[in-house]
Amino acid sequence: MTRRFLSNPFIGKCLPWVLPILLIVVWAILSNLDVISRKILPLPQDVLFSFKDLLLSGKLIEHVSISFQRAFIGFLIGGGIGLVLGFINGLSPIAEKLLDTTIQMVRNVPHLAMIPLVVLWFGIGEESKIFLVAIGVLFPVYINTLHGIRSVDNGLIEMGSVYGLRTASLFWKVVLPGALPSILVGLRYALGIMWLTLIVSETIATNSGIGFLAMNAREYMQTDIILLTIVLYALFGKLADSIAKLLERRFLRWNPNYHN
Amino acid sequence: MKPGEFIAIIGRSGCGKSTLLRVIAGLEPATSGGVWINDHPVHHVHAETRMMFQDARLLPWNKVIDNVAIGLRKEDRHKAEAALEQVGLGARANDWPSLLSGGQKQRVALARALASQPKLLLLDEPLGALDALTRIEMQQLIESLWQQQPFTTVLITHDVEEAVVLADRVVLIEEGRIAMDRAVSFPRPRQRGNAEVAAFIDHILKRVLGITEVASRHEAENLPYPLKKGS
Repeated sequence: MTRRFLSNPFIGKCLPWVLPILLIVVWAILSNLDVISRKILPLPQDVLFSFKDLLLSGKLIEHVSISFQRAFIGFLIGGGIGLVLGFINGLSPIAEKLLDTTIQMVRNVPHLAMIPLVVLWFGIGEESKIFLVAIGVLFPVYINTLHGIRSVDNGLIEMGSVYGLRTASLFWKVVLPGALPSILVGLRYALGIMWLTLIVSETIATNSGIGFLAMNAREYMQTDIILLTIVLYALFGKLADSIAKLLERRFLRWNPNYHN
Repeated sequence: MKPGEFIAIIGRSGCGKSTLLRVIAGLEPATSGGVWINDHPVHHVHAETRMMFQDARLLPWNKVIDNVAIGLRKEDRHKAEAALEQVGLGARANDWPSLLSGGQKQRVALARALASQPKLLLLDEPLGALDALTRIEMQQLIESLWQQQPFTTVLITHDVEEAVVLADRVVLIEEGRIAMDRAVSFPRPRQRGNAEVAAFIDHILKRVLGITEVASRHEAENLPYPLKKGS
């Protein structure tokens, strides 16, 4: 019954959006009836107007694209390092003995606590944000890659070696695909951390980006713009998650849990 | 062992039969003694040895055909297709392994083992987890493929019937030693219901269990070793 209900394409597409839309409707009604003060929550239409203004002046595109760029570069650097470290430590017990303790110590420092130091090192330019995003993204990717390699079925590795696979082909054909589900979990988690880090670092020390837009609006009490940036973050977060889901479906087609 | 021979190794669990097979495969070093293939000692996995495990061990992220083609060169892909046809699963070549039943998975594993035309096939209780009907089908399949292709086979099993139906020689291992080594000379294909075969199976089963009484005078005279409980 439930399955048939969900398999209807229209219902399947719409159902996830019912709650967000309901929330906006309630907000529109309450704020238009003056139940909520406009200093606390602006009118939904005001948010739309400021969205239009920012879009037409080109400011929105400018700030969004600079935020995207930071997120992307930071993610690439941090994710790349995490992936490589995960592979090295997963495959070599010596490397793990040498590196893992250090990595775990650094991992347990909340990376946002480094903001004052990072600002002193890099100023409030691009490097500081990229650095923070990279640090934040590195660890979830590292841990999940390591865990993924550890959890590859030993029986499959043994089978591979009986069937003539040597180190490189064993890695590409058995170890990497076996670790991939876990790596993708790390990726998805890292995407969340990426946004979080970017938001915080852009709000604290910056002169451009979505976070700057919000902080600037706060100076002038423009709650509509602040709310707009929050909605933007929510949408981009959803977008990142959708991309991660798409990757999972593409790379884990073989797994019955992802057949849909 | 002679080339082309089919040997079954039986014994209770924990007697070392799986370890023996793993030593032959080159997966584990021998604690004493050694294994020679064509007068060369085995230290690591031999290129002409293939092994089937208790579980199918198919790569779930590769299609069935790619699983069979593992370890084959790209230009030998037709061999994988042929092997898959031989086990009757040619039509499932492009399915994911997760869609197959347990018996089908083991057939794919058998195709994978045979695709590279090995000289030595090691079977580590590959049929232990299958239901009785599927098991009999698989036994017949293994026998007919073995008759078509000249490979030496070592089968580990704790199913005495399986050992007697399939093997040229049945070897019993107890506490890490060969306790019995009997040639089986019934004509193939062997009928399980045949009285002589059944009596032979019963005899070996009793030997494995260490039961002293024997079914008939005739059988007692043919025993290679004195039967004593716990010997």
